[in-house]
Formats: sequence, structure tokens, C-alpha cells
Amino acid sequence: MGKFCSRSWWREKWEITWKNTLVTAAILTGVTVVAWLYHMLSAGTVNIVMFYTVALIFIPRFTRGYVPGIVAAMVSVGCVNYLFTYPYFSWDFSMKGYPVTFFCMLVIAIAVSAVTSYTKQQSGILASQEKKLMEAEKEKMRANLLRAVSHDLRTPLTGIIGASSSYLENESLLSEEKKREMVRRIGEDANWLLNMVENLLTVTRIRNDSASVSKSLEPVEEVMVEAVRRLRERIPEAKVKVSLPDEFIMIPMDAMLIEQVLINLMENAFYHARSSRPMELYAAVNGTAVTFYVKDYGEGIAPDRLESIFDGEATTGSGEADSYRGMGIGLSICKTIIAAHGGEIRAHNHEEGAEIYFTLPGEQEKR
Amino acid sequence: MKTKATILIIEDEENIADFIETSLRAQNYKAVSTRMGKEGIALAASLCPDLILLDLGLPDLDGMEVIRKVREWSGMPVIVLSARNQEKEKVEALDLGADDYITKPVGTSELMARIRTALRHGAAAGTQKSENVFITGGLQLDFGKRIVKVNAEEVHLTQVEYKIVAFLAANAGRVVTYDAIISHVWGPYMDDNNRILRVNMANIRRKLENNPAEPRYIYTEIGVGYRMAEEE
Repeated sequence: MGKFCSRSWWREKWEITWKNTLVTAAILTGVTVVAWLYHMLSAGTVNIVMFYTVALIFIPRFTRGYVPGIVAAMVSVGCVNYLFTYPYFSWDFSMKGYPVTFFCMLVIAIAVSAVTSYTKQQSGILASQEKKLMEAEKEKMRANLLRAVSHDLRTPLTGIIGASSSYLENESLLSEEKKREMVRRIGEDANWLLNMVENLLTVTRIRNDSASVSKSLEPVEEVMVEAVRRLRERIPEAKVKVSLPDEFIMIPMDAMLIEQVLINLMENAFYHARSSRPMELYAAVNGTAVTFYVKDYGEGIAPDRLESIFDGEATTGSGEADSYRGMGIGLSICKTIIAAHGGEIRAHNHEEGAEIYFTLPGEQEKR
Repeated sequence: MKTKATILIIEDEENIADFIETSLRAQNYKAVSTRMGKEGIALAASLCPDLILLDLGLPDLDGMEVIRKVREWSGMPVIVLSARNQEKEKVEALDLGADDYITKPVGTSELMARIRTALRHGAAAGTQKSENVFITGGLQLDFGKRIVKVNAEEVHLTQVEYKIVAFLAANAGRVVTYDAIISHVWGPYMDDNNRILRVNMANIRRKLENNPAEPRYIYTEIGVGYRMAEEE
């Protein structure tokens, strides 16, 4: 068997450490004291052997490897012989049945050591497997995001590189109007890239280890108003009907991130609803939590994508893989942000279009 | 045409300095640029520019240090132009005395508008304003009589609300940080819980703005502070 040859196995099972020595010594001393007291009260060697047997079961539980168990078995047998059997305080190896006692205690020690170290090993393997699984899951998410990002970045970059090089190479052939058009396209693509980068940057605000954000109390109305203002800056033709909550309410959040979520959702509604009716942004207070709604009057979301729309695979997985303004990253970033706030984001279709809403917990429910 | 104003650009990224210089010259400003912070401080002293455009990430020293040094002896307008987009940095730069904070990238038209605003503030700082009234759009604020009117109708503000509005109006066009407002209105010993400011601001908006969902007078800079619309 290979594992018996491996050095680490050997070291693990047979090493002598301070911790093992101390634990073993402590348990043996304890049991000896108890046995001594018992012996003072009533004389019975059989029960004293039982005490040591119990100790032998416990020692491997709290130590590592075989050494403590075996040493403890020998010491126990020695103690019983030396301290608790007649003649007291002297060795007598000629006693009847002595080899049997010795042998039994040794077997108990080894068997228990083996069983406990096996169980420990198993639970260790289980834990590390679980960790590996979780890491694989994280890795998969990261890979998905990266794939979506590089796809979404490559498209506008191709436009920029192509337009600028064709401008430089064919400058004399192009009409003035065509040149302006090309430069305008370059600017448009660059702005789209900027939007993407800003989205990705927001994710870096989420602490990696705990997947949480630093929150402070912010007024709901200010975040909503500011999000709409910034959306209009970017897309002047976007039409949004905003209804603020009647009462003034503040909830704990990272306002920059929530603003980004609102902008992403409204932008998504603008590009995908393809509707002339203005979208609606409103918020509802229920208890201490607040729910934000972005409602459009457009084509709605295909029912089979309602579930996966926030997973970041929407653009790469479906038929419109090459559609320009993919919404994959934007929405998956929304989900990441809301999850980091301890909230929930959902999408559903209503009679005349789609609606995406998310809930943020209020102050009392803060985790 | 007369040369308008001298602008010092402290920016280590050549591409960016170049495009800013080009657009400034096209607008008849005189532009000087440097890559280094120390040289920038020296130039600020020798040239006495009308405005400094400052990048925070400089090769030799931090841009914040430049603001601090320049503010030791001069009140000349400083506009920070930075790729850092954390509220913390914005608040720090503004509290150090920067007049404005622009996040990169920025379009030329917006940059020019912010420069014009800062220059106006720089010019106004020395002179006492002749009329004591602030007007933007339908909002009218009489500092002498302490009267606020919206579309020629008087609006009743509480003492605290008036103080906030007046402070913002006096600094119209630039972002005023939460801390600056709180210490101006409630004094420096107020704890930094800004909830009371937020509540007051919500009330002010309900009183002044026709539609609080689309404010036209007081804007929010999330995580940083508030900004009153530019005077007309």
C-alpha cells in the first residue's frame, strides 16, 4: 500500500509532539488520581482497569497519531501493576493473566487510535472537498463574468480601432461628412466602454472576502433623483417618470452602488423595451424595507429568460449573442450589488411590458 | 481678441494634457502645463495663474499635497481632475479647499463650463457683490432681507433651512460637502450624523422645487454633498 510508504503519512501517524505528550500525560495523571481515590475507598482491581480503559478511549480522541495511544496503554498496564495490584509499589510480572490484560489494553489503544484518526481524516477530506467545490463555483462565476466582459469590450473596441485606422489610411478619400461621422462613432463607442468600465469598477467596492459593502444611511429620494439625472446625462432621449415615496426615508446602503443599479436597470429598460411610452421609476416602503421598481411598457422579457436574466449569461447563451448592447454584465452586476446589501432582485412581466424590482432591508433588519 | 485667462495644467498624462491645452487655446485661454507636482507649485507661485487644473495621481507627489501647499498662500481656484472616483477622495479634496472635482473622463464642453464657473468664483472672491440678491431660474434669494422667493412667490423657510439655502447660494455652482454645511449651520461641535441635514434638505426641496423628482435648483452629489445651480 502506497500510503504507508509516503513520508507524510509516516510522520503524521508516528510523530511525537508536545501537545500529544501533554494531553496524554494530563489524562493519565487524572485517571490515576481518580483510581487512587477509588482504591482508597474500596479495593477492586477490576474497576481500576476499567478506569484506564476509558482513558485509553479518550486519549486518541484528543491527540494525533498512534504514539500517544500505545504509550498510554503501556503506562496504564504499568500503573495497574505497580500501584494497584498486590504487592503495592513493586513490579510483579508473574501475575496470572497479566499478558492478557496487557495485550487487551494495547489492542484497545491501537484500535481506537486507528478509528479516530480515520474519522478525523474523513471529515478533513469532506471539508476540503466542499471548499474546492465552492472555489470551483466562484471560479465559474468569475470566468462567466470575464467572458461576458471581454465579449462586451471587444465589440466597441473593434469599432474604435477600425474607424481610427481607416480614417488615418484613407483620409484623402473620405468626404468631410464621412470623417465627422467616423469620429462621432469613435466617441460613441468610447462612451459605451466607459459605461462598462464604471460598472466593473463598482464591483471592486464590494469586499471580496465577505461579499458585503460599507453602508451608510442615505435618503431614498436623493438616490433615485440622482440616478435619473445621470441617466439623462448619458441618454438624453430616455424618458422616465419618477415617483418619489411620500415620506422621507433613509436606509443603509452604498449609495453609489445602488445608483449604479438603478441606472443599469433604466438603461436596460430603455434599450430593450423599444417603447415610446416613458418607463416608470418608483419606490414602495413596506415596514423598514424599501422596494425599488423599474417598469417599462415594451416587449417584456422572454419567459424562459426570467430566471437566468441576472446570471450574466443572457448575451452569450442565447441567439442574440452578437447584439451590440448586451445586458448581461449590467444585470449580473445588479444582482451582485443587491446580494451584497442583503437584498433581493427579481424580474417579471406585467400586462404591457417588463418590470424589475429589488428590495433593500431597512435599518432594523440590518445583518 | 484679448487673451482671457491663464490656466495652469498639472497633469502627468501627456495625451490628456495635450487635449485640454488644445481646447483651452481654442477658447482663447492661455495654457501652461507641467507633469510634476513640485514644478506645478513653483509655477503657481511664479505665474499666478487664474486657475489650476490638477490631476491627483502625479509621479512625484500626491495631488492633495499640491492643494494643501497652494492653499497656504493663495485662494486661486483649483479644479481637481481625477480618475479616482471614491467619495472619500472627493470629500478630502473639497475640504482641503479645491473648488471643484471632476472625474475623468470628461468631455470638453463640460470641462469648459466648469472652468468658466470656477473662474467666475475666483473673480468674485475679491470684489464685494454690489447687489445682495441671488437669482437662478425662478429662485430668488435676498441675503439682506432673508427672503426666498420661487416664481415671485415668497416661500417660508425655517431658520435652519434658510441658513442651508443661503450657504449653498453663496457657493452656487460648486459642491459643498456635508461636513462644511453642518459646521456652517450647526457649528463645529455638531456630531457628524448628517441625518438632520438630509431631513432638512428633503423639506427644502419640497418647498422650493416644483417637482422634487426633477430638482432644478439644488442638486445632490451622492456621498459628497450638495450643489446649488449656477447664478444667472
